[in-house]
This record gives sequence, structure tokens and C-alpha cells, in this order.
Amino acid sequence: MDCREFSEKHLAFVDDTLAGIELVRMQRHMVECDSCARQDAKVRRALLLFRNLPAIELSAGFSDRLEARLHEAQDNDILLATTRRNLTRGAALATIASVAMLAYIGSTLYQADVTRDLVMPPVVATATEPELNPIATSTPAIVASAPAGLSIWPVALFAEEAPVRFAESRFELANRSR
Amino acid sequence: MADIVRKKVSPAVAPTVRERLQAMDDSAVVTAFLGGEERAFSELVTRYQTRLLNFVYRTIGDREKAEDLVQEVFIRVYRHLHRFDRSKKFSTWVYTIASNLAKNELRNRSRNPLVLFQTVQKNFQDEDRPLQFEDTTSRPDDMYRKRHLREIVEESVAKLPEHHRHVFVLRELEGKSYEEIAEITECNLGTVKSRLNRARNSFAEIIAPYVD
Repeated sequence: MDCREFSEKHLAFVDDTLAGIELVRMQRHMVECDSCARQDAKVRRALLLFRNLPAIELSAGFSDRLEARLHEAQDNDILLATTRRNLTRGAALATIASVAMLAYIGSTLYQADVTRDLVMPPVVATATEPELNPIATSTPAIVASAPAGLSIWPVALFAEEAPVRFAESRFELANRSR
Repeated sequence: MADIVRKKVSPAVAPTVRERLQAMDDSAVVTAFLGGEERAFSELVTRYQTRLLNFVYRTIGDREKAEDLVQEVFIRVYRHLHRFDRSKKFSTWVYTIASNLAKNELRNRSRNPLVLFQTVQKNFQDEDRPLQFEDTTSRPDDMYRKRHLREIVEESVAKLPEHHRHVFVLRELEGKSYEEIAEITECNLGTVKSRLNRARNSFAEIIAPYVD
């Protein structure tokens, strides 16, 4: 056994978990190697000191403080549970309201789709008939109109050939289309 | 706990139940608590409070804070015991909680130099320390020597790197197996062995000049 192997197995050696043959080899190496023997003694002595360190005790008020903190924790837990329950209820109500609202909107839209195809009563638009101004000329003008059965151009031709007394007369066409 | 206190004063039932709980192993006590026996929690507290205090104190080096953390451990245990996997060891679970809290405390302290300074200062105020660990029957010079030695050992442990110290305390003080330490520290077995070996050698090197 060399020092490296001794060092690698030292943990198990100190913990006394080495197999018999390994234990003997470690002990033999310590007899042969002063350095490893010193290191082993140093570690064991240090561990002995640490393991014998006196245990510290709890302070006098530890149990009372623990009890108070547990009470506080219980109260907080109850509060938390109540809040959670209320939140759950609120969330459930909000969900129900949302669903109801969506259902309402959906049904409204559905109905709107349906009524689009329905036959609605006809819309009747009415307008007052414009009053026709009477021809206000000193002399009667020639009036031609479609309902009279006369086309315009013969009237115009007739107007050209009309006597002078018709010259100043204005030709006014009453629109009777509307 | 209020229930526990109330039940403690009823003379007929309490001693029997307490004795029965004391005779049970951890797993049975946990089962009793989950079955509605509130006094079982007191039994768990009694079993672990001092052990946990020593473990946390040796890890973080601040007694007052260690007590706070131990209380926090019990509050967490009380709150989450119903989630505990009963196929595992209760002690491992409770030490895992304590270990994580101690690690968080060290991490927070390293981020806050003021807290670190206050802690170091508090640890050096020797006169404020209780003398309960001293053997009062010894001569004064022996008492001084023992106290001095204890301080040296504590300071030497505190000099170990955090992850080494953690494993070292769990093994040497609490006597945990490598497997349990691996579970508590969430490391693999090889890492635990390596850290423990290094921690032992480092601790021996640090303390050697004082004890030779």
C-alpha cells in the first residue's frame, strides 16, 4: 500500500468500515510510514475534540415562543384557508356570470342571424309632391310635354317659325316627371 | 399546541398517552399525529429540538438565529406533515428541512455584510455566553482551559467551507450515515465521502497548532 491509497481509504479506516484485510494493510502501512501515521493521529485527535464538544441547550423561553409561533401559524393557515375558500367562491361566481353573459350574447347573435332572413314589412317612404309654379308670363308660353304626346323638336321648330310676338316669350318646361 | 396544553392538564389521560407516545418510534408518532393525536407533535418536538439546535448552531454559528431556525423547522413540520412520505425516515426529512434553512441563512448572510458583521461580533462577545457547558466542579484554570478549547474547536469548524462543514457536522455530530447525508444534502454518495474526507483533514490541519 502506498500513501495515496492510504489517504483514499482513510475515511473508511476512521469510520471502521473497512474489510478485515484492508484494515490490516492500513495498519501495516502506518507502521511503515511515519507521515501517514502522524496524519491519522492528527485527524483522530481533532475528531475526538469535535465529537466531545458539549451540546448546547435550548434557551428557557424556547417552548413558549414555539407555541406562540405555532398558534400564529395556525391562525394564518385558517385565514389563508378562508381567503382561499372565498376566492374560490368568487371565482366560481365570476365563472357562472361569465358563462351566463356569453350564453346571452351567443343567443342574441344567434337570434340576429335568424331574423336577417325573416320577411320584414315593407318600408314605405313618402314625400310631399312639389307644388308646380304656374307659368307667370304676360303672354301664354308654348308648353310641350310628354304626356301631351308631342315630341320636343317639333315644338322647337314651331317656336322658330313662330311670329314675332312670341319672341320674348320664355320657353318653360315644367318637369312633371316627379 | 393550545390543544396540547389543554390536554396536558387533564390528569387521567395525559400520562398514559404521553408514555405510549414515548415508547413509539418516529413513524408511529407521525401516524398518531396524522390520526388526530395532537400530543404526538409535542413528542416529536421533544425528540428533535436539542439535536436540531446543535446541528443548526454548528452549521451557522449563531445561537439565537439557530433557535429561530429550529422553530421554523417545527412550524414547517406541523404544516406539511401530511405531505411527508412515510416510507422514508422522519429524521432524514426533518434534517433536510433544517439543512435547507441553515443553507439559506448562510446564503443570506453572505449577501448582507452587515448581518455577517453583527453575527461575528455577537460570537465574540464571550461574556454574554451562558456558562452552562462548563463543569462547575472543576478548578477555575481547568474551566478556563476547557472553555478556551471549546472556542478553538468552534472557530475551527467555522473556518471550514460551508459545504464541507455541513457534511462534517451531520456525520461527526449527528452520526448520520453517508446515505442519509447524501439525501439530506441532495448530493451523491461519492461527493459526500469526498467532502467528508476533505473536511476531516482540513479541520485537523486548522486545529492542530492549538492542540499540539
